[in-house]
Amino acid sequence: MRFDVALVLSYLPAIGWAAITTVGLWIVALVASIVIGLAIAVIRLHGGAIVNTVLRLLVEAIRGTPFLIQLFLLYFGGPFIGLTLERLPAGLLALSLFGGCYMSEVFRTGIRAVPRGHIEAAECVGLSQMQILRRILLPEMLVLVLPAGTNIAVGLIKETAVLSVIGVPELTAVISGIGSETYAFVEALTLLSLCYWALVEICARLGRTAEQRLSLYRFAA
Amino acid sequence: MSWKLFTLLVQAAGATALFSAFAVVAGIALGLFVCGVALSRFRAAAGVARLYVSFFRGVPLLVQLLLVYHLLPVLGLNVSSATAALVALTLCTAAYQAENLRGAFLSVPNGLVEAADVVGMTPWQRFRRIEAPIALRLAIPALLNEAVAILHASALISVVGVIELTKTARDLAASTLEPLPLYAMAGALYLVMNMVLVYGGRLAERRFSVRTA
Amino acid sequence: MIIPAAQVDGLDKEFGTTRVLDRINLTIPAGQVTCLIGPSGSGKSTLLRCIAMLEEPSAGIISVGGRPLGFSLENGKRVKLPTAHNREVRGQIGMVFQQFNLWPHMTALGNVAEALKTVRRMPKAQANEIAGQKLDEVGLAHRRDYYPAQLSGGQQQRVAIARALALEPKLMLFDEPTSSLDPELTGEVLNVMRKLAEQGMSMIVVSHEIGFVASVASKVVFLDHGRVVLDGTPQEVFAKPRHPRLAQFLDTYLDREAVMLA
Repeated sequence: MRFDVALVLSYLPAIGWAAITTVGLWIVALVASIVIGLAIAVIRLHGGAIVNTVLRLLVEAIRGTPFLIQLFLLYFGGPFIGLTLERLPAGLLALSLFGGCYMSEVFRTGIRAVPRGHIEAAECVGLSQMQILRRILLPEMLVLVLPAGTNIAVGLIKETAVLSVIGVPELTAVISGIGSETYAFVEALTLLSLCYWALVEICARLGRTAEQRLSLYRFAA
Repeated sequence: MSWKLFTLLVQAAGATALFSAFAVVAGIALGLFVCGVALSRFRAAAGVARLYVSFFRGVPLLVQLLLVYHLLPVLGLNVSSATAALVALTLCTAAYQAENLRGAFLSVPNGLVEAADVVGMTPWQRFRRIEAPIALRLAIPALLNEAVAILHASALISVVGVIELTKTARDLAASTLEPLPLYAMAGALYLVMNMVLVYGGRLAERRFSVRTA
Repeated sequence: MIIPAAQVDGLDKEFGTTRVLDRINLTIPAGQVTCLIGPSGSGKSTLLRCIAMLEEPSAGIISVGGRPLGFSLENGKRVKLPTAHNREVRGQIGMVFQQFNLWPHMTALGNVAEALKTVRRMPKAQANEIAGQKLDEVGLAHRRDYYPAQLSGGQQQRVAIARALALEPKLMLFDEPTSSLDPELTGEVLNVMRKLAEQGMSMIVVSHEIGFVASVASKVVFLDHGRVVLDGTPQEVFAKPRHPRLAQFLDTYLDREAVMLA
């Protein structure tokens, strides 16, 4: 078995761009997931019965089906209901919705884990419902959900690879493209694996560091 | 969507269920082995086991699939794409299950282990009669979550051409030019299988639950 | 006539079909300490939580500083009062919880200054200055930048008292303030409360610290099964021969401190 690293490395600039694309996709999708997740969690906390049912069904449908099917439905099925999107925006939208639904469940669990007494104490000193949400509930919840949130963030890195299936030019698409051009599949895919492994490790470490930093704001009651 | 297409999708869902079931069972078995090695006293072996877990949890399944798919022929193993896909699925899920099981074994309360020592059990008896049954029951929710994840992940094996639910939906969508109803129906079938797993799992949890507090 | 700190008339509270409070009538005198005692499940905490508007009474009227809170009686009918009114009346009440309930993501100073900033709309510097003074009053000026997780239970409870005092309440409610503290930490909290009492703060205290109750309270209310069984000065309530339910309560719950009353 030959292992031609030099051949693969000659494609370095293309790989660099692809890596930037992957990281960019991930960051945008992560931020969007957090925003969507927070919105769903807060609306489900205060919303009416109909809105809650609709959101619950959406979350269950997304969490109950493979991401690939969701991606196909949006990208190939979308044009039939007037939603024609390019590969990149389609991929980003699908990934953000997917991440947002998972995040919303984590946030809901976190909100429920904030002790009732902390809210009562805030009510007693006269904070409004909005102030309680902004100043007490959300900050306390974010500290509590950091480990679970990090897991979802790490999961999203890996999920970006699926976007290669509809041709988004990210790491997996570009490097396996190099593989089929040069027939150096094993070399290319090994390099690809190492790229993801490094990204995932960095993200997981960052999460753990943040967790340690925030442990000060965490209450062990 | 015609009845014909629907039955084709249901048959394909059967294939998905079979692939997933195989990967789940083989994954738990391999995971148990990896977990045992990782918790063992043999430092080097434990290190390798941890590296295995870290790698397969750190790389997207799609990439693992492509790697296994291209690597096996290079190693002189000419297997079908379905076999390659099953190998990749199993290797991947085993890493997650090993981690789930490790967590469960580590959370068996120390007092229970000590109690077994005090009544004079040998280490093997202690493992067989006390630690393993408690740990396995503690691990049930996590093992089930991973089973659901594998059901979803199995959609990716369509990428290397394995005929299952997603691949069938894709082919039919291409030939009928009706992607919307086909993918929606495929999604619904995944949801149904998902629900069967979740509700079946809840029953199992209730049946076997232990409280260690 | 002096307006009482709080007045409770015909208060009922039901949770589902269980009646937790049954026709409670109570006058809380201003400038004095009123202690609520009774076995667990007697309704004393619920009564306190009703006065703090954390529970909505099923019937009856509560007034604080002569103004109705939550509901008022108009032409014999009980009507809900507007939120703005309730917010204002409730602003006169400070509450201290058994579990402290400090916000874990804010420092001691942050906890005390929070309501000054967000509710009273005070500039940050001014809010922090007042918060610093209040922490000094409970003897914790040196812990202002510590997070709750870094403080002992007694210190946390003192910060919680400072947090309530920051809003200059007319009436302080204490819900078993020392019950979740280790015995050696109760003293520091009780001392702060004693000092407050000496300054003439109107206080309602739910407590099992019978020694504290006997020495600081001007009025003791003994509740059992949601009813007021005894209501009077400590001398009257603890006088022998004791009411049989009180005697039983003291025996069962307070073995160790009952000695002080012998």
